Amino acid sequence: MKRFFKILKLILASLLTVYSVVIIYMLAFSSKEDRYTFASHLQGACLSQSMFEILKFQDPSNDRIYFEQSVPYNKRGYYEKGFRLLDKAVEIDPKMHLGYRGYMKLRFLRDFKGALEDLDRLDSLTPGVVDTPWGEDIDFLRGEAYFGLENYEKSKFYFKRSIENQGEDWADIQAFVYTGLSELELGNREQAKNHFDKALNQSKYTVEAHIGLARIYLENAELKKSKFHLDKAEEYFSYKRNDPYNEYLNEVYKDDLSLLKNFEA
Amino acid sequence: MKSKTNIFLLISAVLAVVITGWVYYQMSHSIGELSSNTEIDGDFKVCDEDKIPNYYSMDTDYEGGKKAIKNELLSNLQNLKFEDSGLITFRFIVNCEGEIGRFRIQSTDLKLEKIEIDSEKLKTLEYALVSLKKWNPAKNEFNSYDSYYVLNFKIRDNRVVDIF
Repeated sequence: MKRFFKILKLILASLLTVYSVVIIYMLAFSSKEDRYTFASHLQGACLSQSMFEILKFQDPSNDRIYFEQSVPYNKRGYYEKGFRLLDKAVEIDPKMHLGYRGYMKLRFLRDFKGALEDLDRLDSLTPGVVDTPWGEDIDFLRGEAYFGLENYEKSKFYFKRSIENQGEDWADIQAFVYTGLSELELGNREQAKNHFDKALNQSKYTVEAHIGLARIYLENAELKKSKFHLDKAEEYFSYKRNDPYNEYLNEVYKDDLSLLKNFEA
Repeated sequence: MKSKTNIFLLISAVLAVVITGWVYYQMSHSIGELSSNTEIDGDFKVCDEDKIPNYYSMDTDYEGGKKAIKNELLSNLQNLKFEDSGLITFRFIVNCEGEIGRFRIQSTDLKLEKIEIDSEKLKTLEYALVSLKKWNPAKNEFNSYDSYYVLNFKIRDNRVVDIF
């Protein structure tokens, strides 16, 4: 009986040891790529961050680890930590990460000058290439940054260049909208109208363009046309441009419609 | 020999328990969780302490969006003067009833280095936030939930120029 218990204890102790060794192996010694993927999928969890720390210790020159580790910090408002990590990724591979950092400065921090510095630097590192930071045309992002700085001549210039880069049929519809808004700020109503119309030619659901046109027609005292676009904006409101993380600079709200309706009345 | 077997079993069991506990903790906690501190949080309550997602996964919002927050607060904050340009970032909870609390603040300069802001000024910003009463808590077809929210006060030329 004693022998039986002893064997049982040895088996149990061995199983527990194997269990611990397997977990330690998976966390610290299995394929780096597999661990990177696993940690990325657990974005934000403490385990994910701990695994990135282990990976950084083992592979300190891998820019992707710093980049991926930065993401949840920035999404949750811990910019000091998030950008320290992102800065490290940029330091290791500027061509790969400058665009994303510029995008983050633009959309998450509204640091328009900082965004332009990163985007311009990226452009200078990639001559002859139209960069697409985080999937968006670099000139669109530059246009948005100048729009944020209220430099409407420059924002217009870059949005138009973005449309040229992509071709009218493939350009981001919001590039037409932003060009229209920039023209409006510069007092060029006809050009603004022209660009809002172009946005609507691309898609009749462009709520922002309908609101822009409603505003122009209201200012021109063309109330019928203004009402038409206001009604369309209301009808298609669910198609408005929004983002779960941040408010866009040209984001429209139901209040914008109410305000225009009050003016019409 | 008997004691060696027992020691082996004890060490392996302790190691397994420690590792399991560590992994469980690491899996069930995430960065940015705000623990309650009654001294600074007063009587603010959440509906489910164990389930507080982030705003971006649950569409937590303010009626009229951040633009409405800016319209409600910005003009009243123009007398508040700051030394450094940068961001003052509030992370807080919108509870399932649309009340806000548990404010935690990070302040950074233009280089995103941490900076100290006068606590009275931070209190003024917090009071301004508390005055906002039109929060839409996170919800789905079944229920309303608590969620974390992030709001930035952008400081330029010694004053608040944007809220987003």
